[in-house]
Amino acid sequence: MIDFHTHPVLIRELLEKYPNYERVARQVFKIGNNFQPLETFFLQMDVAGIEKAVLLPIDCRRARKDAVSSNEQVAELCRRSPRFIGFASVDPLRKGAARELERAVKDLGLKGLKLDPALQDFRPNNRKVFPVYEAAAALGIPLLVHAGMSWAPETPLERGHPLHLEEPIRAFPKLAFVLAHFAWPWVGEATALALKYPNVYLDTSGLYYDSPKEFFQFVFSRQIPATVIERSLRTKILFGSNYPRVEIKNMVHALRSLPLTAGCLNLILRENAERLLGLATGN
Amino acid sequence: MIIKLERVKLQTRKTEEAIDITAQVDEVVQKSGVKNGLVNVVTMHTSSGLLVTEGIPCLEEDILTHLARLFPEDADYHHRRYLDYDGRLGFNADAHLKSVIGGISCTFPIENGKIVRGSRQTIYFMEYDGPLERTYLIQVLGE
Repeated sequence: MIDFHTHPVLIRELLEKYPNYERVARQVFKIGNNFQPLETFFLQMDVAGIEKAVLLPIDCRRARKDAVSSNEQVAELCRRSPRFIGFASVDPLRKGAARELERAVKDLGLKGLKLDPALQDFRPNNRKVFPVYEAAAALGIPLLVHAGMSWAPETPLERGHPLHLEEPIRAFPKLAFVLAHFAWPWVGEATALALKYPNVYLDTSGLYYDSPKEFFQFVFSRQIPATVIERSLRTKILFGSNYPRVEIKNMVHALRSLPLTAGCLNLILRENAERLLGLATGN
Repeated sequence: MIIKLERVKLQTRKTEEAIDITAQVDEVVQKSGVKNGLVNVVTMHTSSGLLVTEGIPCLEEDILTHLARLFPEDADYHHRRYLDYDGRLGFNADAHLKSVIGGISCTFPIENGKIVRGSRQTIYFMEYDGPLERTYLIQVLGE
């Protein structure tokens, strides 16, 4: 099983090495939990049955002074363990962002692009961002883009509206857009985008109230029916936990509590991610 | 009067587990130089515990099973809300309540440099929300 959405923001080994790491975790990303050794990350994956996790940096140096994990930190963690799949992040409004992305993929071995319009302070339909989409499409990597509400402080809610992504989704049909958090609260709009456009995917990493199980059971019955996933979107949903904002095991249990078939769950928990990341057998 | 405080880190490996720490406590007492006094052991986390019982696997299992019966994971807890100071939701009320009921500390007398405890008494660190790296304290006081 693959967790498509984790943030390496509380890793003790990085805290000891990078002076700003704690400030970023507490003030920019905003999380209060204790820093933990890398071993805890792997054990959290183990108890959830997760074999590999995608690590997401966010290059918000322009907007927030520091990156929430840098490409180099992510690459460093990936060198430590084959269980990690590292994504890159670039500030799409910075000069040379497309080239920086190319270097991160080719030189650091990163496998996807992470963008967060709220935390990075850009509009996803701004034409100045398009060269980065173009570069990602040319590199053949998926884009995981924050959508929906962000818990990070000072981030406007509106910036996460998934319909802001429609123009680039249409302009770059070869680029896989993975909309994070099911774009909650705009779950209906995100679902419409995934239904309409072949290059749109959704990850399950949403949790905004109640417990993971309660949240999933409400969203996937009252906001959209679980049958939409089972029948129409089974190849377009990716499991993501948003660890360490949520423990991975709780999100796996929540997903498994939905009325989905074993075949559909296997696609969400493994095969869809393998396909997007080029990990499927034979690749 | 000697007062020594040891902070012990412990990597738990499961969601819930009972970890025997008796030997660790014995060792800290013996190295402290205290001949007569008290040792206090306390966990630093509100979703873990510290308790004393007979050191056999069946009881370890019974304690965890029946605490889970008292505080089921799926019960209706007010704690399931966004915690601003943590930047995340709280949905581990069951772990907190197990900690409250099971306790977070234990105390034993020390005599002639050794803990005075019953032959079946085992000191357990109780993980209710792991796996995590945890810290517990062993404080030795005496002469």
